[in-house]
Amino acid sequence: MDLTPLAAGLAIGLGALGPGIGLGLGVSKAMEALGRNPEASGALFVPYVLGLALTEAVAIYALVIGLLILFT
Amino acid sequence: MPEEAAEQGESLIHVAIKAETLFHLGPIAITNSMVGTLITTVLLVSLAWWASRNHAVVPGRLQAVLEFPVDFLAGIVRAQHATRWRAILPPVLTIFLLVLVANYVGLLPGVGTIGVHVVENGHEAVAPIIRPASADLNFTLALALVAFVLFVGWGIRANGLRGYLKETFIANPPYMTPLMTPIHIVSELSRIISLSMRLFGNVFAGEILLAVMLALTFAVIPVAFLGLEMIFGAVQALVFALLTLTYITLAAAGHGGGHDEADDSRDHDADDLGVRAGAH
Repeated sequence: MDLTPLAAGLAIGLGALGPGIGLGLGVSKAMEALGRNPEASGALFVPYVLGLALTEAVAIYALVIGLLILFT
Repeated sequence: MPEEAAEQGESLIHVAIKAETLFHLGPIAITNSMVGTLITTVLLVSLAWWASRNHAVVPGRLQAVLEFPVDFLAGIVRAQHATRWRAILPPVLTIFLLVLVANYVGLLPGVGTIGVHVVENGHEAVAPIIRPASADLNFTLALALVAFVLFVGWGIRANGLRGYLKETFIANPPYMTPLMTPIHIVSELSRIISLSMRLFGNVFAGEILLAVMLALTFAVIPVAFLGLEMIFGAVQALVFALLTLTYITLAAAGHGGGHDEADDSRDHDADDLGVRAGAH
């Protein structure tokens, strides 16, 4: 039995778990901050997007590993 | 090998991690992502050509659309570099526009769906004629290398060659050098990998997502995901440009720059808010 697809699925599935939680935490804190101080939306935007991008990169690494398992 | 895997699965879902060769032009293999890059470039150049010849003081519709990203990014760059923003804005804006248009070319109807038969590795496969540029690792890696040269160049420009080398290869308490320098070098180089992989992974995964949704569902349902991909395309372009800007900022800030810069901007924002609250 070929377990390669299972390995690829597990790689991206487990790899997306951490970044998923991380992104949720990031967005929740940003929304909280925005709720307290709507005026800060301009100042929040760039660090917010950058933080999300850096967190999400971990999931992308998992995706790349999954694709490598599947295709090599 | 990708073609084999694609043929085993659903015939509608075409997954090829590398761009397929369409034909050979002398020794150069023309791939479908090169066609996508060419379309992106032609679009951008013609828009820029039009905009530089038909600009009015009161912008028309197209001019207003074209001015929006310029204004938007200029505002962000200016907030971080009050004096040098005119030198930093053009490369950052170029990266943003190139990635944005490359991502959106991938969403045009016909891209990735209209294909030709090619013979690859001895068996026949269907290769799409156009592949979005940013779904090819070669394109994103090249852009990341440009970004790397940019922020290393700014580091050298701001601190001088000696200063830059000293900062890169000698840690702050000098006895920490054997421990810190390898980490520092790896973190600098990993920026290339993370920049290129992030864009490639997002766009490539987006293409697969669209194909899977087209195969699984019917009629208008995939349109929702097309909308999602439009948001992601813009966000990823913005992220690439903003990360390049941040790396330039960190490099140009100089010794131990990260912390001071962050503190400065926080103080600045606090002042800004104070002023605005006062004005109310």
